[in-house]
Amino acid sequence: MGTRSILVLGVGNILMSDEGSGVYAVRTLEATYSFSSNVSFLDGGTLGMRLLHPISLAYSLIVADTAILGKAPGTISRLTMDDIRMRTVLKNSMHQISFSETLTMAEMMGILPATTIITIEPVDIETMSVELTPVITGKMNSFCEILLSEILASGGTYKSRNHVLNKAGSF
Amino acid sequence: MARIIIDPVTRIEGHLKIEVEVTNGKVTDAWSSGTLFRGIETILNGRAPDDAWLFTQRLCGVCTYVHGVASVRSVENALSSKIPSNARIVRNLLMGGQYVHDHPVHFYHLHGLDWVDIVSALSADVNETSDLAKSLSPNAPAIDFASIKTRLQNFVSSGQLGIFNGGYWGHSAYLLTPEENLLLASHYLLALRQQLIAAEMHAIFGAKNPHVQSLKVGGVTCKFDITSERISKFRDLLTQMRQFIDTVYIPDVKYVAKKYSSWKSIGGFNNYLCYGDFPLNDAASDLLFPGGYILNKGTSVSNVDLSQITEHVNHSWYSGSALHPSVGQTNPAYDSYNTDSRYSWLKAPRYNGNAMEVGPLARILVAYYKNSSDVVSLVNSLLSDTGLNAAALHSTLGRAAARALETKLIADKMDGWLNGLDPNGEVLTATTVPSTGSSNGYGINEAPRGALGHWIDIQDGKINNYQMVVPSTWNLGPRDSNDVRGPVEQALIGTPVEDASKPLEVLRIVHSYDPCLACAVHVIDAKKDKSYIVKVS
Repeated sequence: MGTRSILVLGVGNILMSDEGSGVYAVRTLEATYSFSSNVSFLDGGTLGMRLLHPISLAYSLIVADTAILGKAPGTISRLTMDDIRMRTVLKNSMHQISFSETLTMAEMMGILPATTIITIEPVDIETMSVELTPVITGKMNSFCEILLSEILASGGTYKSRNHVLNKAGSF
Repeated sequence: MARIIIDPVTRIEGHLKIEVEVTNGKVTDAWSSGTLFRGIETILNGRAPDDAWLFTQRLCGVCTYVHGVASVRSVENALSSKIPSNARIVRNLLMGGQYVHDHPVHFYHLHGLDWVDIVSALSADVNETSDLAKSLSPNAPAIDFASIKTRLQNFVSSGQLGIFNGGYWGHSAYLLTPEENLLLASHYLLALRQQLIAAEMHAIFGAKNPHVQSLKVGGVTCKFDITSERISKFRDLLTQMRQFIDTVYIPDVKYVAKKYSSWKSIGGFNNYLCYGDFPLNDAASDLLFPGGYILNKGTSVSNVDLSQITEHVNHSWYSGSALHPSVGQTNPAYDSYNTDSRYSWLKAPRYNGNAMEVGPLARILVAYYKNSSDVVSLVNSLLSDTGLNAAALHSTLGRAAARALETKLIADKMDGWLNGLDPNGEVLTATTVPSTGSSNGYGINEAPRGALGHWIDIQDGKINNYQMVVPSTWNLGPRDSNDVRGPVEQALIGTPVEDASKPLEVLRIVHSYDPCLACAVHVIDAKKDKSYIVKVS
């Protein structure tokens, strides 16, 4: 990635229903549009600290994730580092180093790019399933559109691959 | 007598919860409760066996590759498919990369803060810290301790401890001087940088960072990545990791072991199991880690017979009886959390009826008592440098030291493995799952956290049953049908607890097993509610 590179990073567990919303959004964007060469996409899964390396290479970071903010399911929100910095505490396992911790670690290391986090309020993140719930599936176009506007704002461009948005939430 | 419950509170049920009973300042009983992989069968059953690894590697955010390779091995075993040399070596390099990444992260970023007081580091004399650094490891990278101290101070002064929030800073069980704390806190930051190198290494033959995409039943798919250029890139990154391991990680572990010498007799267990891994030839007749098991802190090693494994459910929230994983069942039957009856989502795996510790210490002890020459010399150097004896390996310190020693062993060996890659060689043996008939198989490996097994039952080309027995089930599982405690439950007994409201000593033991339980969900939570709840009654 060169300078001004934009990393669009989808995070979440695709085996846990809406937990994988961010990953689905990134997959959908990649399948539906072609982007300027400074835009790259990554399915970050739940890898936490392993994402520090790709994060360190980006000039701007746009994260697509699920967030429980107490809003109506499907509500899309825009967060910044100030919103998540204080939500991190010591954990008893690497497996509890969440994505918030990863971003805080990147900040402490001085490698965190300009970061925007676009989140969607889930319906169900507990059922083991590779399908999104219908409410979140219905919101996937809006989720993607907001991510597209962030990509534009960060200096990326895109054009449609000339077919309708894939049905999100299924393999 | 007091009961202490340590429960990381989260939105979902299912993180590790430890309950201990403390009498006269010592742990007298313990219960480990957790959840794991509930319902994976519902996703896998009916799918194509050769796709299973794509799902299993998503089960866990940290142990991705190990679940991928266990899954493809289970199908290869069922179909008697042999993989080419190149594939064997690439898989060894990917698994080795996982160790070299995970173990330093465990020591510095997870376990380290049980020994290192970050807040104490702020009162360190930077010149003395620099002298200490030189005396401890003259060839370690030079560090500007004044600048690190200022960075830490800024973090604390702004009230944003961030990832250091929630620690028991100032606890009397922290024994290091401010200078020692600053040195190790600096290495915490150095190790984070180093981690980027390890992650990059993993991506070379993994095809796509960060999820490995290059596995396939019958071998690997990264044929065009086996070039002299990529091999040399891998070697460059590996060399940087080896320097870090030799000049920072190993000296630090030995130093901590000397400073916390009382922990040589705290937190140990008796029985150890290692499946063996890192095949050094295509017949897999020579393994870097030989398989074997040890009972009662013995010095003799017996061969593993996988048919001796059963999973007990008497104290777990499942119905049914103790079964071998090849015919295992997962029938949830949650009632309530009750330490006198059922209290965990984990099953209790047993080997011939014995609770077994798996992981770095098991691997090192099995190799040591099988006279594996590399391991014998590494262990002997550890013992002479720290003044410990072999009996002291059965402890919390032994576990941390074994993890460091095997990191060095593997990193050093990987350099030679690179020479075995053949850019013109095959990487894949074409393997087709027959569309009719039945077969079954198992895939075992040594994940960084310990012995991992996947068992698959294939009917007419589809998955009929899939069961996994994972390292943390062995180490952190509950009591069995004979009420015998699991390894961590037993290891906790006798641990001194100075302040029941701040059970740092208990966490030291639990962390030494590198628990792998809470891997299912990673959402951002609006509330700052993820700290430990420590209840004392």
